[in-house]
Amino acid sequence: MIGGILVKAGFAAALASSVLYYLVVRTPHARHLHLARLAYHGSVLFLVAASGVLLNLILTHQFQFTYVWSYSSTDLPLSLLISTFYAGQEGSFMLWALYTSLIGVFLMSYTARKGYEAEVMSVYGLIVTFLMLMLVVKNPFAYIWDTFPGDLLQTGPIPPGVTNAVVLDAAKSLWARFPAEGKGLNPLLQNYWMVIHPQVLFMGFSAMAVPYAMAIGGLWKRDYHSWINVATPWAVFGAMVLGTGIILGGYWAYETLGWGGFWAWDPVENSSLVPWLICVATIHTSLTQRKSGAFVRTNFALSILAFLAVIYSTFLTRSGILGETSVHSFVDPGMWVYWLLLSWMAIFSAVGFGMLFVRMREMPKVPVEHSMLSRDFALFLGAAALTLMSLFVLVGTSAPIITTLAKGKASAVDIMYYVRTNLPLGIAITFLAGLGQLLWWRSSRMSSLVRRLAWPVAAAAVITALVLLLGWEEPLMLLFVFTSAFSLTANMLVGLEIYKGNPKFAGGALAHIGIAVMCIGFVTSERYDQKATLSLEKNKPVPALGYTLTYTGHRMIDAEKYGFVVEVERDGRKREVAPVMYVSEFTQSIMRHPDLVNYLTRDLYVAPMSLEEPTKGPLEQTLELERGTLKTVGGLSVTFRTFDMKGANRDAMMEGKPFEIKMLLDVTEGRKSTSLALRMTSAGGSVEFPVTSYTDKDGATYEFRIGRLRSEQDDMAVPKVEVVARTPADRSAPGKEETLVIEASVKPFINLVWVGTVTLIIGFLLTIIRRVQESHVKDESEV
Amino acid sequence: MNIKVVAGLIVIVAGIVLSAVNFIDSNVEYGDFADAQRIGKRIQVKGEWVRDQESFFDAGKAQFIFYMKDDAGVVRKVVLEGAKPNNFELATSVVAKGKIDGEAFHASEVLTKCPSKYEGDSASVQKTL
Repeated sequence: MIGGILVKAGFAAALASSVLYYLVVRTPHARHLHLARLAYHGSVLFLVAASGVLLNLILTHQFQFTYVWSYSSTDLPLSLLISTFYAGQEGSFMLWALYTSLIGVFLMSYTARKGYEAEVMSVYGLIVTFLMLMLVVKNPFAYIWDTFPGDLLQTGPIPPGVTNAVVLDAAKSLWARFPAEGKGLNPLLQNYWMVIHPQVLFMGFSAMAVPYAMAIGGLWKRDYHSWINVATPWAVFGAMVLGTGIILGGYWAYETLGWGGFWAWDPVENSSLVPWLICVATIHTSLTQRKSGAFVRTNFALSILAFLAVIYSTFLTRSGILGETSVHSFVDPGMWVYWLLLSWMAIFSAVGFGMLFVRMREMPKVPVEHSMLSRDFALFLGAAALTLMSLFVLVGTSAPIITTLAKGKASAVDIMYYVRTNLPLGIAITFLAGLGQLLWWRSSRMSSLVRRLAWPVAAAAVITALVLLLGWEEPLMLLFVFTSAFSLTANMLVGLEIYKGNPKFAGGALAHIGIAVMCIGFVTSERYDQKATLSLEKNKPVPALGYTLTYTGHRMIDAEKYGFVVEVERDGRKREVAPVMYVSEFTQSIMRHPDLVNYLTRDLYVAPMSLEEPTKGPLEQTLELERGTLKTVGGLSVTFRTFDMKGANRDAMMEGKPFEIKMLLDVTEGRKSTSLALRMTSAGGSVEFPVTSYTDKDGATYEFRIGRLRSEQDDMAVPKVEVVARTPADRSAPGKEETLVIEASVKPFINLVWVGTVTLIIGFLLTIIRRVQESHVKDESEV
Repeated sequence: MNIKVVAGLIVIVAGIVLSAVNFIDSNVEYGDFADAQRIGKRIQVKGEWVRDQESFFDAGKAQFIFYMKDDAGVVRKVVLEGAKPNNFELATSVVAKGKIDGEAFHASEVLTKCPSKYEGDSASVQKTL
């Protein structure tokens, strides 16, 4: 109850702040400004308090709240219990809103120093307002009896013994029961990635709102240039955090979810990639604007688009519109969320592009540097390629919507669409990322460029040749390796020169190195991977992919989960993997998690497929026998001849006295025929089916017993009996021990992806430090 | 006109055309088994798992075999390259991506669609009371 009120108060305060800031923009007014700040801080406090309330409800297991009941349970460890805060739609919107509003606190003092506060905070406050409105609509504080009134609402006196009940209306004697235990967290989410990945991703989403607000601020103030200096550190921050979030998600998919790779071009992944690509393009075009004043409109447009892409991606993955075309089953959140997200997009596009259109004419026109041999031009092409890439990914991800509009039937594109469209762009981008660093601003001379190109190109050729040692690939893929290697070597060369001058300026080169290393890692691990499906019989070593794998048995992880231990040996070094397979009570089906061994130059990735029961030893089978028909069991043939009802007179059966029914089974072995009597006895209400044995000529024992008498219920004229026959171990065909079936794959140089990621993040960090310092220097020079 | 502008336009138009062709080409349509037979290329077929026909994992070939009834009521054997999908028993319907090869439908991927959240929830609320 209190939570809902806090959310509504936060919404009202954010709205008030946005309006007050708007008034301040129209006519500067110290008191209004003071109130606007107060209102903003108020909204932050309300939201922080509401989040605290929700967290407290979760930690104290208040299952009378639908949200708490839906995603948590009493048996979760603390870290996972906290993470159920954002396990559902309501909570994840809340996390997003929380980070956005907290970032706003820093943004307020930052923009106040830059003279941008009123404009930026008015827009930013509007964004916070919309996020809070979403929380008002998708209220995480709904009571469970409001969600399931039919199941939980009751009238009349509360029966004794019912503890989980609450009186809602004493006058009408209306009361509700509520659950004593929650539904629990989906086991797929129960790992440490759940604790960290959504947090980082949502912070990245939140950060994307800043460049948008600043772009509108710049348009509003008719400041078409210096806003770039104010906005750049935030754009780099957003790219860093969102990029980290995306990669963490990829690692989650690889390591725990068992998608086989870290990137599956899934709508959820794609929709966070699109704003990231646009943001990275913006960083590059901003750089050009700082140097030459070009790309004024482009920078506004891209900054606006990056945020719109965040909303659109939320729309794609949250509105249920992708429906049946993805691996993820997106829950339909209801019409409210659908229309709210659509109207967000409409309003923020209208505000952004409307402002841009109004101001367009008066903007200075600075043409892009004409020389093709200039860093300006390379940056232009690179940014264009990045934007195009984001567009292609966007179109592919939106395929279900496009096909619905075009044909009335939703269908998705195959993964090959993304590879085919992005590979040429990837080649262009990596090439330009290397070339651009070797070129000078304005223009370069061909002869000096050729001199500077010599070393990086030669080194890239060597790297490509090394990759070729792994095997042949299609030419475009090899070209991509070459351009990535070129970007790597060129940026190392230039980065080293810059580092000698001023280490802080090496951020850009370092980020490029990171991306280049990642790209090479993508190709080696995804295109040069080797796969094998293996049946590992227990304790029998199987050589495969250069390793010797031995399945040694399973071990229990917790009440439900089992790890299947496989020993992995190579060159005398033993390692162990234990992929997990279990039947989950939560999902009522089999769950699988892969495991891997990380070597310096490769990963051995083991995905469990199935566990086959042993076929060695006695085999039990059920025979359905009709009178007179012949069936074979092992080396015998059996025929059901008749029932012997002598021990079961009708009266005894009716009175519940002990009785016995015999079933006569003719067993034929070669020419020898024997009659066996299988029995069913009833005494004191309990029915038993004793075992009758038969020993064949080799001395092996068969065991027979009645499984079920079908004739009682069914047609008496055709009596049927189910007989359970246990045959001795078959000596002619060798049986098998318990067998684990796995898909093993070797992913060469996958560590490059992780090394590249870390390098990229460090590069971003250095750039943020540099740009923040630069923007301070500019402040002082303006004063 | 500036030659660079012309070159740029050509590159952009070529890019759009190529990606449009690619988009249409790699679009995996929805259909039933009859469509799959007719078209012959990769397609998504929605249907139901036929529970009373055999379904098993062939460990030797690493294939999961089951029978599926499409929306038109046609039952066909489906050979999935891989293990039994998650949530298979729970699914109200399954979507198989692949193409017809001989008698069977060879699927590279089978998606499972689970009962809508709120239908399932009413029962689970009762369970946790």
